[in-house]
Amino acid sequence: MSNGVYWNPVLETMPREKLRQLQLKKFREIFTWAYGHSKFYHQLYSDAGIEPGDLKKFEDIKKVPKMEKAMMRSVQGPGKPNYPYGDILCVPLDKVTDYRQTSGTTGQPVYQADTWQDWEQGTEAYCYAMWAQGYRPGDRVFLPFGYNIFIAFWAYHYAGEKIGCEVIPGGVLNTEARILKMQELRATAMGATPTYILGMAETARGMGIDPPKDLFIRKITVAGEPGGSVPATRQRMEDAWGAKVYDQVGSTEIGHWGWQCTHQAGLHVNEAMYLIEIEDVNTGELIEEPGRRGKMVVTTFGRMAQPCIRFDVKDLIQWNARQCDCGRTFRLLDGGIQGRADDITKVKGVLLSPLAIEEVVRNTPQLGHEYQVVVTKKGDIDDITLKVEILPEYRKDEAAIKAKLTDQLRLTTNLGYNIEFHPYESLPRSQTKSRRFQDLRPH
Amino acid sequence: MNQEYDMKSMVTKIKALRRNAESLKEIAGDFPTVIKNCDRILANVHMLEINVSDAAEVMGK
Repeated sequence: MSNGVYWNPVLETMPREKLRQLQLKKFREIFTWAYGHSKFYHQLYSDAGIEPGDLKKFEDIKKVPKMEKAMMRSVQGPGKPNYPYGDILCVPLDKVTDYRQTSGTTGQPVYQADTWQDWEQGTEAYCYAMWAQGYRPGDRVFLPFGYNIFIAFWAYHYAGEKIGCEVIPGGVLNTEARILKMQELRATAMGATPTYILGMAETARGMGIDPPKDLFIRKITVAGEPGGSVPATRQRMEDAWGAKVYDQVGSTEIGHWGWQCTHQAGLHVNEAMYLIEIEDVNTGELIEEPGRRGKMVVTTFGRMAQPCIRFDVKDLIQWNARQCDCGRTFRLLDGGIQGRADDITKVKGVLLSPLAIEEVVRNTPQLGHEYQVVVTKKGDIDDITLKVEILPEYRKDEAAIKAKLTDQLRLTTNLGYNIEFHPYESLPRSQTKSRRFQDLRPH
Repeated sequence: MNQEYDMKSMVTKIKALRRNAESLKEIAGDFPTVIKNCDRILANVHMLEINVSDAAEVMGK
């Protein structure tokens, strides 16, 4: 078998005008399918006065109404048809082979149905990512995640198998046991959240194991949090493991739509399997030009049981002007997911993105990986506290570190912070998505 | 992309795979393992269609 650069050398290098044609064809197909098979979508589109015949050219796609997570939730659950999926379901219940649900980070979970073909398609999308990140037969891939109801790294498991890697499920083992198993089996790659990757390295060092020297991990795929596209966080992970770290993005409702290749120039959008549109947060206008941040609207092509069409994810992204040196014609995003439209919040009248704080914290070598941001109100005034861990050997330098952090944060975010130093390894760690931003102001 | 692929022949063979799996399923009657393995094969045939046949169609090959 060829060990070429591309999982699909035809689609990944397809001229852009042909990619656009392909996207229109696939958008029409999934729209027509959902219109004809889901009461939810049929109603949504009928109310908007749009039907399959109206999609004649690419620009017509923006006429299709968007869908939001709250709309999915409203048709799902007890007392609704097709329990638990609701009228969004496009196939009979006996065709559903896989259940997953969202983590419920932003409210009631969304229940996601897949047919086996849908599941294969999710796996296929992940194969594009892993192949682009250099996974090949012969890699021994360790999965330190709880195999459960969340999508997490399930597709990484199946895609690893499909590519021909050897896959080691590290499911219910604790962190120490996982590290010892990776060492024993000489695992060469793994996938986990950035938080867990950093935490595992700390645990390993506590066990007297230095990951770059004593383990064999040379490739890491991270997902579930934006850290893989935050340069300072990625650098920390790469230093901690002596491995290349690649970001991969996706979600339960969408699938695995974007990834970094070995060039790490940005996130490639898999435009053969997904349509990513960027919309101005205020005007709703579609953004085609690079460097202008907006809200992501995404369509998954060909997911039949529970389609995802023009889903307003509320993640903030922007196009990158560069074409990646890897030769793929799939567009690049600049800096990955740059936050969520509903995470960007006004504090003291200034727009604050929690990711900007992460970049400062992780660029400060005297600090541990974890941090928390808590916004409260003192009287009429917003108050921000940043909790960070100071490494034991730098406790004596607290005043200087605090001054440097204060300056950097003011430069980056235009805001002042109460900085609290906590002992190393005392802030909470999570194996799943971490929520480090708490807004405790009365709303 | 340096290498040329024989997309036309691949599309023809993918169509044949689908026809064969569907006709095998049709004659399987009440034979669970045949039916369910055909379903798995057809899911993979679909992956070939999205990776090859759809690409060939827009490229006019």
